Amino acid sequence: MTERPYWIAAGTVGWGAIVVWKAAELPQFDQYAHVGPGFLPSAVGFALILLGLILALQIYQGVPFEEQGAEDVSEDHKVNYMALALATAACALPMLTMKPLGFVVTCTGCFVLVAAAFKSRRWLLDLVIGFAFSLLCWWLFRKLGVQLGGLLPMMGV
Amino acid sequence: MDAFTGLMHGFSVALQPHNLMWAFVGTFLGTAIGVLPGIGPALTIALLLPVTVYIEPTAAFIMFAGIFYGAMYGGSTTSILLNTPGESGSMMTALEGNKMARQGRGAAALCTAAIGSFVAGTIGTLGITFLAPPIAELAFIFKPQDYFALMLLAFLSVSVVMGTSKVRGFISLLIGLSFGVVGIDKQTGLQRLTFGVPDLMDGVEMTVVLVSLFAVGETLYVASRFGLQKPNLNPLAGGIWMTREDWKRSWKPWLRGTLFGFPIGALPAGGSEIPTFLSYTVERKLTKHPEEFGHGAIEGVAGPEAANNASAAGVLVPLLTLGLPTSATAAILLAAFQNYGLQPGPLLFINSADLVWGLIASLYVGNLMLLILNLPLAGLWVRLLFIPRPYLYAGILIFSLVGIWGVSTSWVDLAMMFGVGLLGYVMRVYDFPIAPVLIGLILGPMAEVQMRRALAVGQGDPMVFVSTPLSAVLIAMAALILVVPALMQWHRSRKIDMPDETAGV
Repeated sequence: MTERPYWIAAGTVGWGAIVVWKAAELPQFDQYAHVGPGFLPSAVGFALILLGLILALQIYQGVPFEEQGAEDVSEDHKVNYMALALATAACALPMLTMKPLGFVVTCTGCFVLVAAAFKSRRWLLDLVIGFAFSLLCWWLFRKLGVQLGGLLPMMGV
Repeated sequence: MDAFTGLMHGFSVALQPHNLMWAFVGTFLGTAIGVLPGIGPALTIALLLPVTVYIEPTAAFIMFAGIFYGAMYGGSTTSILLNTPGESGSMMTALEGNKMARQGRGAAALCTAAIGSFVAGTIGTLGITFLAPPIAELAFIFKPQDYFALMLLAFLSVSVVMGTSKVRGFISLLIGLSFGVVGIDKQTGLQRLTFGVPDLMDGVEMTVVLVSLFAVGETLYVASRFGLQKPNLNPLAGGIWMTREDWKRSWKPWLRGTLFGFPIGALPAGGSEIPTFLSYTVERKLTKHPEEFGHGAIEGVAGPEAANNASAAGVLVPLLTLGLPTSATAAILLAAFQNYGLQPGPLLFINSADLVWGLIASLYVGNLMLLILNLPLAGLWVRLLFIPRPYLYAGILIFSLVGIWGVSTSWVDLAMMFGVGLLGYVMRVYDFPIAPVLIGLILGPMAEVQMRRALAVGQGDPMVFVSTPLSAVLIAMAALILVVPALMQWHRSRKIDMPDETAGV
């Protein structure tokens, strides 16, 4: 069975359309440089739409999509949707918790979620290691001068 | 300053104790990440960018150079001992090197890889030393249209060479270009594609995109398809170091590999895949022991490994002299220069002679350090692979958060991390090349500036883009890159079609 991921082509055309739409609000040409701020975005947007259509045509013709190889990837590339969901949750978590709960708590959560996605079953140990590692990172990088926010912003620390 | 005095001055910078320390940190880190899966040189440098704001530029770039070279060494160690090439340039090494290790000749394979890398790295660095200044001189007479043509060529060749499909390569590039135009237009002060979000006015942060694409995308991808092959270490014990015979069979492939690697690495979109592959093919043709190929021929390790390291050196030539990145790692190095308010290019050699020559001299020093770090300690490095995967990938995500949150503690960056991370996942599943996104993102705005400058000089006449000999040649080459593969494909498909018809299938 050939997979036909038309949604990728649709996504490409869609993003191209958004770029064209936003670029249309800008002047395409100007007096001095002859090419205005809107010119390149418009060109990029139209090219994206065109390539999206070509991709759709290729998908229609049954072009194969081979997954990229990577280390630690199983031979048969079998997808574990539970693990994917857990890892995705780990990536989404910072959007919710970074502002109110701060770096350390957020990272501990991410750590536990990713560890779970990689089939670790020792939740408590993961929690402890995650917390210790996050705290160490927070402290170390703050020493090095990276701004990572407070320890617990909600409590004003 | 001519090359020789420049280099001597460079050594006086690079051999200062604290710079030596940074070179050591860089080579150490570089080897480690070369061994570890899921993390490469581009990602490491991106993650270190926020830290380096507080280190002086010379020290930072000495460390980055160590990471850049070190990752190549680390990659060869794992591909020989475990048959897991950490990056694409080590694929050919894994082919023969692992077979050698299985026959108990792992030590000799590691040895020829490390010494070959050292030879190639040193010759490559010599190449940078003596080629970079004249090219930088030449770049002074470059006009905006020349730069524009050069960047156009880089865009096209990056998209065509990397990955399996041209259409997908161009989509990657254009996604990068569309990210690149976000922010305030420097010439008119108008906002472009910011969607009214104030955080986007400064543009899309390179670090955020790179970390999301590489680290977050990779974590999602590996998590969903996780299957750990237990690393089975090929015993190093009992291995014999290189014999006289091995030396005799290795030195020519080292030199030939360097000869392929350096020039191809220096070309736009040269990369390391093509020279390593070329070197392997050539060694296979030239060898006196063709029967050994596929069963652990030492030439098949020596040549590609040298080509790999020489190409890494080659990549630095266009980066330092023209400000033209030709790989993901070079793109992030360029971003690092820009973070310091430095613009690689001809002026860098004059305004920041300390930095450039210190960097070049530290490449020699780093190479020597890597040889010492890697030859006797290869067995130790491989132990890194026994880090439990849940903790390794969880740790990578936390470092990513340090890198992304540390840029400007902006919520928009976290949202971008999520969105671009998912994009990175999809790109891996459907085989879109990732480097063109980064090249588009960083080179796009630069190309636009040159395009507008050229048009301003040419008073709006588009013929200005082919008005100098160099720009005309480069544009013609760009056109060929587009047309020739298409023609060849058309030709080939006709050839394949015809027998099909006669056979009546």
